[in-house]
Amino acid sequence: MYKLELDKIIKEIKKRNSKQVLIQLPDGLKNKSNEIIDFIEDKTNTKAFIWFGDCYGACDLPLGLNSLDVDLIIQFGHNRFNKEKW
Amino acid sequence: MTRLFLIDAKWEGKINLTNELKEHLKKKKIKSVALFASIQFTNLNEFIKELEKNKIKVNITKAKRTNEKIQILGCDCYGDSFQEDIIKNSDVVLYIGDGLFHPKALLLSQIKSKEFKPVIIFDPIANQIKEINKKDIEKQIQKKKRNLKMFINSRTIGILVTIKPGQQYFNSAKNLKEKLKEQGKKAYIFIDNNINLSQLENYPFIQCWVNTACPRIGTDDIVNIEKPLINIKEAFNPIKYLEEMEKL
Repeated sequence: MYKLELDKIIKEIKKRNSKQVLIQLPDGLKNKSNEIIDFIEDKTNTKAFIWFGDCYGACDLPLGLNSLDVDLIIQFGHNRFNKEKW
Repeated sequence: MTRLFLIDAKWEGKINLTNELKEHLKKKKIKSVALFASIQFTNLNEFIKELEKNKIKVNITKAKRTNEKIQILGCDCYGDSFQEDIIKNSDVVLYIGDGLFHPKALLLSQIKSKEFKPVIIFDPIANQIKEINKKDIEKQIQKKKRNLKMFINSRTIGILVTIKPGQQYFNSAKNLKEKLKEQGKKAYIFIDNNINLSQLENYPFIQCWVNTACPRIGTDDIVNIEKPLINIKEAFNPIKYLEEMEKL
């Protein structure tokens, strides 16, 4: 079992007044995506969607979501990283 | 802002009615053709004149998504993809070009037709003639029917959306989700750049998938996957679509 911290997510969505949210999960957590969406839709009026594909790390963020007016990405299973300077 | 510049890359060679093609059409007693080509081969004025000289009526139309008459795209794979139903009024479909992706669209577009017309492929580069017909898409037809039945009986649906602008139907996906909710079904919307079907196995709670991206995913790729998947076009009225297919 993994801590999904759903209450923290709801707080963040409300704080930001997000209208459309995308959740992104690594393969091992994808089977939880329906529970997360159900929880968000139950607790907020936000429309919530699931990133279908890869989620290899915090470096692997979906691009082009502006075109869909998605205003918040919630990625699970990774934390903030520092990009190395080359 | 990024701008886009497109090049047709027309084939430079001359497209002639070769003796082999003439004989092939004669042997099959073809009196009329529905003529299509991929964009590289749509300069067919001389070719059409030669067909007409041989007393073959040439029917042409514009596929709704294309820019030119005669041209066909892979996604023109529905009966209503064309301005006029010239296939119904022709003995056979004649496709000019190479490969099978485009001519298969011409077979798929007849999936609900009572009378299935074969597609003669004339490849002017290799100077080859090939004919495909209903049996070449039989697997797809059977899988499509099975998937529609499974969709009707599914309660948890996954709707696939791509970000690629030319194939993005995000609003339709959201409308479908609402419609399915009214029917007592629960739908989830999944977003990606590329719809990689190997990802389906990560979501075992989904009973049936709806594809809103390239319609050929719901016609060709379905034969390679176990989980049922249908296209959005069918998802709004699956029973009607299935009935029309079952009538054949």
